Amino acid sequence: MKLFGLFLLAVVSQALVVAAPASTRPHYGGTLRISIREAPASLDPADSDQVGMFASPGLWRLIFDTLVTLDARGQAQPALATSWQADPGNQRWQFMVRHGVAFQDGTALSSDSVAASLRAANPKWKVFAAGDAVVIECDAATSNLPAILTLPRYSIAKRGGGKLAGSGPFAINRWDPGKKLVLTAREDYWGGRAFVDSIEIEMGRSFREQVIALDLGKADIVEVAPEQMRHAVSEGRRVQSSAPAEWMALVFSRDSQSAEEGKLRQALALSIDRTAINDVLLQGGGEPAGTILPNWLTGYAFLFPTTVDLEHARQIRSEAGGGPGWTLVSDPADPLARVIAARIALNARDAGLVLLEPSTLPTSSKVANVGLVRMPLPSLDARVALSELAASLGLPTPKFEGDPAYTLYAAESALLQSQRVIPLVHLRTATALSVNVMGWQEDPDGSWRLPNVWLEMGKP
Amino acid sequence: MSFRRKLFLVFALTVFLCVGAVAWIVSAMTRRAFERANEDQTAALVTQFRREFDRRGGEVAHRVATIAGSESATRMALAVSRGPADYSVFVNEAKTLADNQQLDFLEFVDNRGTILSSAQWPAKFGYKENSLPLISPNVSSPSQASPNKTAFLRQEEMPDGVAVSLSAMRPVEVGDKPLYVIGGRHLDKDFMRSLELPAGMRAILYPNLAKGFYPELLIAPEKVQQPQQLAPLIVQVQQKGQEATALLHWSDNAVDDESVHAIPLNGQDNQLLGILLVGNTRRPYVELRNRIRSAALLAGSVGIILAILFSGWASSRVTRPVEQLAEAAREVAEGNWNARVPVNSSDELGALAESFNRMTGELLEQRERLVQAERVAAWRELARRLAHELKNPLFPLQLTVENLVRAREQSPEQFDEVFRESSSTLLAEIANLKTIISRFSEFSRMPQPQFQRVQINEVVQKVARLLQAQLQSPEHPPVECRVELAEPLQPIAADPELLHRAFSNLALNAMDAMPHGGTLTLRTRHSAGRVVVEIADTGTGLTAEECERLFTPYYTSKAHGTGLGLAIVQSIISDHGGRITVHSVPGHGTTFMIELPGNMDRLPAAS
Repeated sequence: MKLFGLFLLAVVSQALVVAAPASTRPHYGGTLRISIREAPASLDPADSDQVGMFASPGLWRLIFDTLVTLDARGQAQPALATSWQADPGNQRWQFMVRHGVAFQDGTALSSDSVAASLRAANPKWKVFAAGDAVVIECDAATSNLPAILTLPRYSIAKRGGGKLAGSGPFAINRWDPGKKLVLTAREDYWGGRAFVDSIEIEMGRSFREQVIALDLGKADIVEVAPEQMRHAVSEGRRVQSSAPAEWMALVFSRDSQSAEEGKLRQALALSIDRTAINDVLLQGGGEPAGTILPNWLTGYAFLFPTTVDLEHARQIRSEAGGGPGWTLVSDPADPLARVIAARIALNARDAGLVLLEPSTLPTSSKVANVGLVRMPLPSLDARVALSELAASLGLPTPKFEGDPAYTLYAAESALLQSQRVIPLVHLRTATALSVNVMGWQEDPDGSWRLPNVWLEMGKP
Repeated sequence: MSFRRKLFLVFALTVFLCVGAVAWIVSAMTRRAFERANEDQTAALVTQFRREFDRRGGEVAHRVATIAGSESATRMALAVSRGPADYSVFVNEAKTLADNQQLDFLEFVDNRGTILSSAQWPAKFGYKENSLPLISPNVSSPSQASPNKTAFLRQEEMPDGVAVSLSAMRPVEVGDKPLYVIGGRHLDKDFMRSLELPAGMRAILYPNLAKGFYPELLIAPEKVQQPQQLAPLIVQVQQKGQEATALLHWSDNAVDDESVHAIPLNGQDNQLLGILLVGNTRRPYVELRNRIRSAALLAGSVGIILAILFSGWASSRVTRPVEQLAEAAREVAEGNWNARVPVNSSDELGALAESFNRMTGELLEQRERLVQAERVAAWRELARRLAHELKNPLFPLQLTVENLVRAREQSPEQFDEVFRESSSTLLAEIANLKTIISRFSEFSRMPQPQFQRVQINEVVQKVARLLQAQLQSPEHPPVECRVELAEPLQPIAADPELLHRAFSNLALNAMDAMPHGGTLTLRTRHSAGRVVVEIADTGTGLTAEECERLFTPYYTSKAHGTGLGLAIVQSIISDHGGRITVHSVPGHGTTFMIELPGNMDRLPAAS
């Protein structure tokens, strides 16, 4: 695999040399400076409380590899596993471990180290080494185990002595938890050395700070808030946006307790003007959503209505009679979320429904809470993504039985019919690049492909 | 109460009343003056507050005008005038501009009343702005929509409730369709705190969101203690819609009183949107009033003390000569006619003292002259009486001797018989002369009293017993003797023998005054520290002239007697320091009243 990679690299390089002028020819060197909003406290992929690094934009891939990766179409591709097969029943899987892979501390990747890493990630599985392979015995039939293994928490990491080592294209050079991470390109990376020599990641920076850093030339790659995308483009910045890969929705804390409450939830869903939220508040940075998964991932999202129907909402509301009011909680650190929550409350009021801020409610009243959540798409695999989203929101685990195309639709429909969630919009992720950044690539879910990025020196 | 004390009290009371009246008048006048000053200050402060409020309104209007004239507003107005507004472009404009101009509220509203962008409620884009009825499709001219260029009050609907704002509205007249800029400041704690108020003044805002009083709605830089005290004032303004003032007592201490002026704040359609309470502490006035009161009290107290001292000095200054005069008069009354009053001034009191001294001097001279005249008169009376007394026995003596001479010459043979008869007549008359002379001698040799402790009742009883023998004699006319003795009667210092003699004399005279019988009363009593003995008869009585001359020596109303008896009685009584008076009604009887002092100081030391 490594030889193939090198060959491919050589071919591509030659092609670029031939096709591109000298100034755009990829070259090695330089330090790529990145600013992100999240501020992770740990780099361990198995840390269940981890955010940021193991959400978009997928910076975890700089340090760690998984056994399997997904391509742009969501198809499983070999990574640290060169091949895999499942026993009938899809409960026992065997993955052949790639040779010639080393962790950043120089130790060779083995089936034992892979098994140890996977056991730490999922104690429910029975994982053991079998020669050059790793065998995974699931507690239930898991036909999409390869896709599951592409999740960040199943990254292969070596843990010992309080240290963490991955097998990714970059090694950890300096780590200030929550503040700064400096990575150095590995010469011995099995997939080929990255173009840049190092990557510096400044963490915990707001969108505004990131844009300022970009404008001042202190950052090469920064995140752009979806609602600022249009403005950033209008100001002449170089902005790359993904497909709608972030999901925003209302999530109820519990199931509906009665038919009347179900009607009220239905009326709420019909009263929300998603188009106005997307077009105005989000500045067109997404798409109105009627489903959990975006249409580009499932292909059937358009079947679910997203337009507002206030008349119908009022009718249902009147049929339901009295009911509990709701408290709508949103991320207090996200001003956009607060505005969206306020808009939803206004829409609900138009339908005769009550959505209140938590601070305005007396402590003696009992209300069902509704949360405005915003989550990145966890995987390019639709089933994995739906399962992960349901698990993170405390929703029932979707069941996929029968025809994969239909089961996905059925599973998502079942989740929506539970009335625990009211999808609002699918957001794009946007990234602003400095003029020096070349070879930019990102997955449809917005994950960055940084090893192929190179810096054009000399450009202001 | 002595004259000095009366005078002192009069002076003190006069000064006290004067000082008190002055203090009260000063306090009352000061209180009225300060009340007026306090009212004037409150009115001035309220006016100043109104100006400050208006100034803030002007600030808001200026900032809104600035925004209306900004490029952002112009662009927005152009976009609106061209066609349906794209809210996404302007949704955040209001927030940015509001932050720049330090406004709490800012909305951009198109000519149909649709909110394009809202700073206070960003999610409200696309909704209608209903709180400003002047904005409507029927209004063709922006100036017609906003005739009032000044700031106004407005109720702002917020996600978490309703707020009151000081707002202004300006049109952006670009194109055919105007854009309205409505901005304002939230009338909250920060706004109230930002008002520049003089010391001792505070402002509280009450948003009139509902009927009645809800203390939680009060907006003030600091927490309002006892908010219920404001309820009556607020309800009054709610009902009448006019300014009102009340004096609030926040505690029992008047220093904590506060004069609160309530000003109704109306919106564009004259709806009562809020009530502004301007409080002015009365602390400086109350403290000043207390200081004045204390000063008045101090002045009054000092005045009273000075009045006391002055009254004492003045009264003594005035009364000392009078007291000296009174003392001198007392001495004169007690017999010391040599008493003199010192003349220390040339005023009326000095003239009075001189007059007194002159009077006592003249009285002394007159007494001496009187004594001399009485002495001469007494000598003349004595001589007359003596001549009269002696003449009676001397005439028979002369006749007898002449008879003897005649008998010897003319009838010698009868001389022996005539000599014997004449000798007995001579001897009788000589005996009579000897009696007269012994009486005179006895009167001239009246002994001095030998003072001893005497019970007057015993002396009177002794006299009564002595009289009983005479009264029981069949030859004596029927006279009843009554003895009425006061018990107990304090003993006095006296000579019992002399008193017995005096009482006996008076009793015998009383019996002599009742030749046909009657009642003789012997009575004792005490009066004002003296013992009084009354000897009364029911005889013929005496005339007023007889009463006057009764105690004159040798005066008698009897056919026989020397007339010295009552003089002796008077001398005895006088030697005892007492007094004898007579009261008589002709035909009804006579009463002799003897007053005897205690004289205990005259007792010998051993007793």
